[in-house]
Amino acid sequence: MRVRSLLAASGVVALLVLLEVVAPRVLNPYYVTILSRIGIAVIAAVSLQLVNGFTGQFSIGHAGFMAIGAYASAALSVFAGAALLDAVSQVVPLSLARIAYFPLVLGFGGLVAAVSGLVVAVPALRLRGDYLAIATLGAGEIIRIAILNIDVVGGARGFSLASPAHPAIDLRFESLAGVFGVAVVTIAVIARLVYAGGGLAFRAVREDETAAESIGIATTRVKVEAFLVASFFAGVAGALFAHSEGYIHTNSFGFVRSFELVAFVVLGGLGSLTGAILAAATLTALPEVLRGFGEWRMILYSLLLIATMILRPQGLLGQRELWPISRLGRGAK
Amino acid sequence: MSLLEIRGLSVRFGGLSAVSCFDFAVEAGSLVALIGPNGAGKTTAFNVITGVYAPSEGSVVFGGRAIGGKAPHVISALGIARTFQNIRLFRSLSALENVRASLEGARRSGLRDVLRLSSWRARQDAATLAARALLDELALGGFADARADSLPYGEQRRLEIARALATRPRLLLLDEPAAGMNPAEKLALRELIRRLRQDHGLTIVLIDHDVSFVMNLCDRVVVLDHGERIADGSPEAVRRDPAVIEAYLGSDAEFAS
Amino acid sequence: MENLLQQLLNGITWGSIYALVALGYTMVYGVLKLINFAHGEVYMVGAMAGYYAAHALGVAGTPSLGALLLVLVVSMAACGLLGALIERVAYRPLRGADRLAPLITAIGVSLLLQNAGQLVFGADPKFFPALLHSEELVRVGGIAVSNIQVVVLATALALMAGLQYVVQRTRFGRAMRAVSYDAPAAALMGVPVDRVILGTFVLGSMLAAAAGILVGLSNPKIDPLMGLMPGLKAFVAAVLGGIGSVPGAMVGGLLLGVIETLVTGYLSSTYRDAIAFVILVLILLVRPTGLFGAPQTEKV
Repeated sequence: MRVRSLLAASGVVALLVLLEVVAPRVLNPYYVTILSRIGIAVIAAVSLQLVNGFTGQFSIGHAGFMAIGAYASAALSVFAGAALLDAVSQVVPLSLARIAYFPLVLGFGGLVAAVSGLVVAVPALRLRGDYLAIATLGAGEIIRIAILNIDVVGGARGFSLASPAHPAIDLRFESLAGVFGVAVVTIAVIARLVYAGGGLAFRAVREDETAAESIGIATTRVKVEAFLVASFFAGVAGALFAHSEGYIHTNSFGFVRSFELVAFVVLGGLGSLTGAILAAATLTALPEVLRGFGEWRMILYSLLLIATMILRPQGLLGQRELWPISRLGRGAK
Repeated sequence: MSLLEIRGLSVRFGGLSAVSCFDFAVEAGSLVALIGPNGAGKTTAFNVITGVYAPSEGSVVFGGRAIGGKAPHVISALGIARTFQNIRLFRSLSALENVRASLEGARRSGLRDVLRLSSWRARQDAATLAARALLDELALGGFADARADSLPYGEQRRLEIARALATRPRLLLLDEPAAGMNPAEKLALRELIRRLRQDHGLTIVLIDHDVSFVMNLCDRVVVLDHGERIADGSPEAVRRDPAVIEAYLGSDAEFAS
Repeated sequence: MENLLQQLLNGITWGSIYALVALGYTMVYGVLKLINFAHGEVYMVGAMAGYYAAHALGVAGTPSLGALLLVLVVSMAACGLLGALIERVAYRPLRGADRLAPLITAIGVSLLLQNAGQLVFGADPKFFPALLHSEELVRVGGIAVSNIQVVVLATALALMAGLQYVVQRTRFGRAMRAVSYDAPAAALMGVPVDRVILGTFVLGSMLAAAAGILVGLSNPKIDPLMGLMPGLKAFVAAVLGGIGSVPGAMVGGLLLGVIETLVTGYLSSTYRDAIAFVILVLILLVRPTGLFGAPQTEKV
């Protein structure tokens, strides 16, 4: 067992090194962008899986939290980035400061998103089923429209991270190792959370809330917790998106994006992290790689989703996990 | 002081009175049956005790504490556990996980689960051991890793009991535990309930339609009809009570021997 | 004051359109307990069908009440068919599945129609032909009432009255109400549940088509994505009125139209779309079952 884990860990490190050093030199920049988007999609999908797949709550406005993470972190970078970097480089040599800087920015995006997740969750989670879904849809739209009306972050023109504020820094974050490193951390955290003994509470809430309450599980607290963690990581994903693209617009965080995330978790299998990862990666890469797919992309998604719900509602993996993830989650048996 | 004391309980839904002016005291260590025709209000009474409904009037006191209107998970932590009339297992989870959810579900620390320091592993293993022991005690050991909804019906009912026991309750409420069982299974269940009461020091209140099942098992029988208590006493006394006979006559309850 | 009345008139006009679409949501939810997210797209197809019908039938250049009627009928028929198709192909196979699968399928159908619409109709907006000469009919104390507004209101009210009649006084309507209360019991009583559900979809889709045409009359710019926002807003209206309640949908629609117009007129227009969602969130927090809905309790 130990050997396998060690091999897996070294595999991950090797992959990250490969992505960071080799990929940008070997691959066309367009493909590097796709890889980055895959990483971000995986983070967002895994975060949503916690709420929809493991806790059984219908959240269909998740892109709203990505938007908050994106805009909050972008605002921090643009308006206070230089000052922040200076502060960090007091503590750490300048060359390392840039590396230390980004976790702070990402964390900030995640935290602001988590707070908004709390604001949405506390009232919304009093509702169940269809009503909760509608409430989250409404929340996502309200967030989007609200941001659209904030001029200081660009409003309808979008928000650009091009800022000549600090000579030593381009505010953009173009490290594939960084994106995938964050993805690995996200997966690890959520897998550990869900597959620990205490994590059974999430699934108990999913299976039967009344029974869960009867054995002492504070179901509302569990649901809010899931929402908090999920919105944090969605915010981180949004922050990564903002800093790798360099420009954001609320159009990227509308209902279509929320629906894409729902598609990832459903097609992958509600209750499977591995499934969400595979679906997110495949469905993000596919239309980008295949030329001329553009307008057919959403038609494909929709048809695939409808067919899946009718023919194979458990998605690709149902509730099963493949080896690396289940090992990560369970620890000792 | 009784372990559980209900005074003047009334529960109303809109215009319908499910329970009226119900007085009910349960002594620690006793085994009481709550019976009555369909719709008498028995499950409603359970639901009030466990916090699913709040009382419209009256009080519910457990171990000296007022619990009327508290949330179900709070009441569970105070030491009351239950099973359900229609089985409510965590269906896609294994039998082992159903029991473990009880053991650990309430006491969560997400951060510790994520960091997994050395003490975490020890706690997890201990919990698994305890869960397996409980499954073995209820003759479910062989089903530990099977999906809960793949278990045969009788085993599912026992699993619900195992899950309830995992919360280490003082008071156990069983809602129609023998429903759908054949006579042999009912006999085995009776033995099981007796044994559990003794081994775990439980106080048990059970609801059932099968009057003969109840008669041979319980110390005391309370009868509800249309939300009101119409009898309360030893099994023999209740069986001969004319009000009880009248309540059951004309309905489909078994009232033999 | 006259501005207020003008706004109210506009609000009621828009509200009646929301009401027509909301009725489709509410009726389907009543019989199937399903939120038919694709309904907004049926409204869009209604407008598109009207556009193509007007041109195909050669009435695009000759405005008249008769032309309007013709286009209405054709469009309503087309969308009735579309609604039946959607029910049969996408929702019926999921009858009896848990609540999540139909919800996701509904969203899938919605997006499918939007994107297929872009492909088939072209993404660029079209101009709905003027089936009526727009003219100011009357000016009452400073409020302009155009003939188009009168036609929109009159048509919408007539359709709603017609629906009320069907629901309350026909056998089909009775069957629909029975299925809404208790589908298994209705089936046991001999009600052809499948046909009733199909009919409900057809009815709702026809109303949505009419709404699409009426919108085309008053706001001629139509495009394949025009159903998204109005669809969601009509849905909010249905929730506001109490989802599952027919009078609720009518009241909810009118109310939403008025509130939206008043807030846009007196406060700010940039938040126009957000108003509906704010109302949605408020309703869900305060009274999820809406104005006319009955509270639902789960049996333990």
